Amino acid sequence: MTGPAISVRDLRFSYGDLEAVKGISFDVQPGEILGFLGPNGAGKSTTIKVLTGQLKPSGGGATVLGTDVGVDDPAMQARIGVCFEEKNLYPNMSATENLEFFASLYGIKDPDALGVLRRVGLADRAKDRVKTFSKGMRQRMMISRAFINSPDVLFLDEPTDGLDPVTSAAIRTTIEEEAARGVAVLLTTHDMFEADQLADRIAFINNGEIVALDTADNLKLTYGTRSVKVRLREGDGVREEVLPLDGASSARLAELAASPDLLTIHTEEATLEQIFIQLTGRGLAG
Amino acid sequence: MTRQVSRVAIVAAIVRKDVREFSRDTLYLVLSAVGLVMFVGLFYLVPDTVEESLTVGIQQTGMDELVSAYQAGAETDEALDVVPVDTAEHLRAAVAGDLEVYRTASGETVLVGPGAAAQAPEGSTTVTVDIGIAFPVDFVALTTAGQQPTVTVYTDADVPSEVQDAMTSVVREIAYTLSGRPLPVTEATVVLGTDRTGDQASMRDRLRPMLAFFVLMIETFALSSLIANEILNRTVTAVLLTPARVGDFLAAKTIYGTLLTGGQALLLLAAIGALTATSWGPLLVTVLLGALMFTGIGMITGSAGKDFIGTLFLTMLLVLPLLVPTFSVLFPGTAAGWVMAMPSYPVIDALDQVTSDGAGWSEIGPGLLGALVWVVVIYVAGVLVLKRKAETL
Repeated sequence: MTGPAISVRDLRFSYGDLEAVKGISFDVQPGEILGFLGPNGAGKSTTIKVLTGQLKPSGGGATVLGTDVGVDDPAMQARIGVCFEEKNLYPNMSATENLEFFASLYGIKDPDALGVLRRVGLADRAKDRVKTFSKGMRQRMMISRAFINSPDVLFLDEPTDGLDPVTSAAIRTTIEEEAARGVAVLLTTHDMFEADQLADRIAFINNGEIVALDTADNLKLTYGTRSVKVRLREGDGVREEVLPLDGASSARLAELAASPDLLTIHTEEATLEQIFIQLTGRGLAG
Repeated sequence: MTRQVSRVAIVAAIVRKDVREFSRDTLYLVLSAVGLVMFVGLFYLVPDTVEESLTVGIQQTGMDELVSAYQAGAETDEALDVVPVDTAEHLRAAVAGDLEVYRTASGETVLVGPGAAAQAPEGSTTVTVDIGIAFPVDFVALTTAGQQPTVTVYTDADVPSEVQDAMTSVVREIAYTLSGRPLPVTEATVVLGTDRTGDQASMRDRLRPMLAFFVLMIETFALSSLIANEILNRTVTAVLLTPARVGDFLAAKTIYGTLLTGGQALLLLAAIGALTATSWGPLLVTVLLGALMFTGIGMITGSAGKDFIGTLFLTMLLVLPLLVPTFSVLFPGTAAGWVMAMPSYPVIDALDQVTSDGAGWSEIGPGLLGALVWVVVIYVAGVLVLKRKAETL
C-alpha cells in the first residue's frame, strides 16, 4: 500500500466526562517505529485501544491500513498485531498451543509457532504451559503472539515494562527486525531509553495531547542545549565545569583544554526526559 | 496479506480451545468424573422396589366375623394385609413399634416385647403394622342400635396422609355394612395422569431426573469458571482483536456449554438405563433445553464474578434454587404452585415423565413449550450480559 499505515487526525476519546485523548494527530509510515512517550495516564494505552477498535473514538478520526477505526472490519484486524500491557495468555495451555489457537483465528493452517518462539528465545519452552513461565517469558510470549499472523501494523503497549535488561534488549531486537520487514510499529513506553533506541520518531504525550513529535535528534536539538562537561583535578578532589556549546564559551574551553589538571572532556546533550519535563513540567515516571 | 477465515472455523477453534482448557482444569475434571461415577453408583444403590402393600391391624375382640371377612378379602388383594390383634392397647403398641408382631405358619398372630425376638415362634415372619383400627367391643350392637360408637385409627407416622384419610372412609364403610344400611354414596375413582396402580415408580426411577439435573449443575460451575477466567484474564480481549467477533465468541460458549452440560447429562442417563429406543428423542430435546438454560446461567455468573470464590458463590445462588423442583419428583404430589412456576420445573417434570412414566412427545410437549420460554429468557439474558462484559473490558 502507499501512504501511511496509521493515520490519525484530531482523534478524541472520553471516559464519561474525562477527556483522555484530546485531538491528537500523527502518521506512521510502513517500516517506521513511532514511540509514544509519556507518563502513566497520559493517554497512550487509550490511543492504542481506539486504533485497534477496542474503543470507539469520541471525535476526529483515524485509519489503520486505510480502514476507518470506527468501522468493525475483521479484514483489517487480520493484518494487525497487538501486544497488551497485561499478559492475557491462556495459562493452562502451552506456548505452542497458545500461538496455534490464535493462528487458527486468523485462518492460518500451519503456523510456524516454533519459528516465532525461536525469535523470542522461547523455543526450548514451546511445550511448557504458560503458567510455568516467568514474567519476562510471558512478555516474550505476548510479543510472539503479536507476530503470529505476520502483521503489517504492530501495536506494542509497554512491551518491555518491568523486564530485565537482557530480555528487554532481545525484545527490542525483534521489534527492529519487524520494522525492517516493513511493518509499521506504534510503541508506547514511559522508558526514554527505549524510545531513544528504538523509535524513528517520538511523540511526547501528556494529558491526552501530543506536545512534541519529531526524531529524537531533532527533539534534542530543538528543545535541549548542547554543552561540554570538563573534569579537572583540584587538590585531592575533582572539579567539574559545564560550558554551553556556543561561541561565547570557546575561549574558556580552550583554556581548560590546555590545563595540566584536565582529566576528561565530554560533550553532553539533553535527555528526552529533560526535554519532556521542560515541555510538560512533569517527569515520565509519574 | 489478507487471509479468508470462515465464522464456522473461528467458532470451532474457540470450542476446541475451551475443550482443551477444560481437560487441563484438574478441579472440574475430577469433579465431573467423580460426580458421574458417584451418581451412577448412587442410582444403583437405591432400591428398585416399591412398597405397595399396607398392613392393617384390627382389634379382634368382638369383631371375629369382620376380621375373618377382611382377611378373606385380603387374600385376593396383594396390596392389603389384615392382622388381627387381641386388644386396643396391644394394637396401639404394635403400630407404635412398642410390640413386635409375628405371624406363624398357621396364620396366628404373636406379639412379643421389643428386643425379645428370641420369643418369636419358630418359622414365623415379622409383620409391620402400618395402621390399626380399634373398634369398641360393643361396636356391632351400638351401630345396629343407630348410635355412633367411637372407632380409633392408629397410624404410623410414615403412612401418607391420603392413606390415613382412606382408612377413615373404610371405617365408615364398615359401620354402614354392619348396621345393615347401604352406603349413601357410590364411590368412583378417576386417576388423572398416568395410572400407575400396581406399577408405581420406585425411588430409583424417581432419582433419574434429580441426578441428571445434578450433572447439569456441576458442569455449570465448570462453564462459569471457564468464562470467568476468560474475562478476568482478559483473554477475550485478545480474541476479539483477531478476525473473531463477539458473536463468534458467544456462539462458541453456547456450543461448548451445551455440549459440556448436556453431553454429560445424556451420558449419565445412558449409564442409568434411561435412554431407550423410545425415550431418547424426548430426552435429548429435554436435556438440550436444560443444558441451554444452564449455559445461560453460566454466562451470567461467569461474567459477573470478580474472582473464583465470587463466581462460585454466584453460581450456587442461581443454581441451587433451581434444584428445588427435583424434590417434587421424589415425593410426587408435593409440588406447590411456586415450585411449578420455577424455570427448571418444566424440564425436570419432562425428564420425570419420560424416565419414570415412559411418556412421549404428546405428554411432555406442552411442558416443553413452557420450558422453551424460560430457556429463551435465561439464555438471552446470559448472552446479553456476557456480550456487554466482553465488549466493555
